[in-house]
Amino acid sequence: MTARVRDRAEPILSARGIVNRFGRQEVHDRIGLDVLPGEIIGIAGGSGSGKSVLLKTLTGLHRPNAGDVRVNAMKIDTIGPAEKASLIGVLFQQGALFSSLSVAQNIMLPLREHTALREEQQEEIAAMKLELAGMSAETGIKSPSQLSGGMVKRAALARALALDPRILFLDEPTSDLDPLTASGIDTLIQKLNRSLGVTVVIVTHDLTTLFTICHRVAMLVDKKLRIDTLDKLMRSDQPWIHEFLHGPRAQGAMTARKQSHGNG
Amino acid sequence: MQSWAGTGSACPPSLHAMPRASSPPLFPAIAIDDGGARIELKGALGVRTLPELEASLKRRPPKGKSRALDLSGVTELDTPGALFLCDLRKGGATLTGIRPEHQALLELVGGLDLKPLPKQQPVPHWRRLVIELGKGADGAWDDTSDILTFVGRAINAIGRALVHWRALRLPSISRHIEETGIRALPIIGLMAVMIAVVIGYQSVAQLRPYGAEDFTINLVAVSVLREMGVLITAIMVAGRSGSAFTAEIGVMKAREEVDALQVMGVEPMEVLVVPRLIGLIIALPLLTFFADVMGLLGGAMISKALLDVSLLQYLDHVRHAADVHDLFVGLVKAPVFAFFIGIIGCMHGLRVRGSAGSVGDETTRAVVKAIFLVIVLDALFSVLFEKLGI
Repeated sequence: MTARVRDRAEPILSARGIVNRFGRQEVHDRIGLDVLPGEIIGIAGGSGSGKSVLLKTLTGLHRPNAGDVRVNAMKIDTIGPAEKASLIGVLFQQGALFSSLSVAQNIMLPLREHTALREEQQEEIAAMKLELAGMSAETGIKSPSQLSGGMVKRAALARALALDPRILFLDEPTSDLDPLTASGIDTLIQKLNRSLGVTVVIVTHDLTTLFTICHRVAMLVDKKLRIDTLDKLMRSDQPWIHEFLHGPRAQGAMTARKQSHGNG
Repeated sequence: MQSWAGTGSACPPSLHAMPRASSPPLFPAIAIDDGGARIELKGALGVRTLPELEASLKRRPPKGKSRALDLSGVTELDTPGALFLCDLRKGGATLTGIRPEHQALLELVGGLDLKPLPKQQPVPHWRRLVIELGKGADGAWDDTSDILTFVGRAINAIGRALVHWRALRLPSISRHIEETGIRALPIIGLMAVMIAVVIGYQSVAQLRPYGAEDFTINLVAVSVLREMGVLITAIMVAGRSGSAFTAEIGVMKAREEVDALQVMGVEPMEVLVVPRLIGLIIALPLLTFFADVMGLLGGAMISKALLDVSLLQYLDHVRHAADVHDLFVGLVKAPVFAFFIGIIGCMHGLRVRGSAGSVGDETTRAVVKAIFLVIVLDALFSVLFEKLGI
């Protein structure tokens, strides 16, 4: 099954020869990345290794010094705003919910901007997205400042899903969350990936997320990206990757992996 | 390409249940094929095509009791599309020919326990008016008591700093004098000249019919020295430094830096508020004097241009028109204005709660309140000087 799919599938997101430089400091040196439709890919790296810049490059928010990013075989900077909105959705680290709007209005904003749906339909869709993100419709009336950390992530995820994008970019979806809430978010990502078929790109240094839900992991080490399955990366002899995946914190994540894959 | 073959259980399970083809056209249209009793849908059924589909369905009212929709031609389905189909199904329509890859999505959406978004109870206009009025009055009362409390705390802190020499942070004070005073010199000088020019033009126009245009110099000199110099300077400083005080302290408050000071046993009043207040109280009178000089210079320019009065004649005229009293009346107001501008700026900075958005709100409030207070105080001073006969 897997082999057949692999032969057939064209990458939905592909980056080629990405170079990012800030002043004299080079952050990315000719990075390449292919993401296949329907997979969950985790991008990991140490603090300051340029994960966030890479995410901004992939979403077209940052223009790289060299190289190009293609989404659905189109160059990202040639895609129109409406088209882009239905291709990619981004969950920002702090949620980036508009504080002047209620949660439901936040979700309805892209619908209002890009579709001709009636107000009631927009509300109905917003309620559905909230439900999909694991929140009740009553939360819709709240303002973002009234939400807890986990709820903010869920609400922001619901907004990112507003136009049913093909690719979901998640910037540190589990940061600043307690372990229980964090695993709730992990489960939600996995559920959305399975049920909606949405491709997910996660930037994270949460080992449990990498170990339990990511199909492939891209490690940002020494300005380069090493992309492989976790099992292969675990056997890597690159010292930083080895340290990262075998450190004291990785043990717990490994247990979680065994548990979740055992059950799944 | 890297492969993820051999991942075992980690391979993406969604690939075989993908509801959508991998690269369909992005803005598809839906075509309705009306085959008698049965309606055939073709193309992509999604959030963009939904309004169109709905309109077309409305134009074809169901024949008989219920309608049947054939979905075998639907190439794409997203969640709003599935929601729409589920609603139709609930309304009695029969859906046939559902593609297997769409079935999962339909089941998922159909299985959600959807409740409508709660509606906020609308408040009638008259009640909202009353509520706003009450809130406004309450806010004004709170503000007044807060300002009074803060004035008390600030005077206490300044007094202690003056008694305990060590608590007076001279480097910090000198930095604030530079920020609020020296850096404001160019803009305040320019404004003072401009104001003198404006007053000069207006006076000449009004006084010329009476042949009294020479009194323009009196008007410019007296109004600049008594009122305009200090008022323009205070308003400028309220906008420039009052807002800076709020923003600086507010950001520190939002980032818990103020709490950190407190935990370390350093009094925020002493390190944040006192140096700013003292710095401003020193800087504003000096700025006012500078503005007075520049205003008189502007008066000289306008006299030369409109009245053809030379600089020496002008100075001689000013000496007779205005005396030290006028200068003193203007300058004595400056430290009072400075104190209140600083108080308002610092108080609003310390009022910031949590988010970064609150810094912006408080800054706006501080500037409006500081300028308002400066003008109110100026009016009070006018009354006071009138009664005292100065």
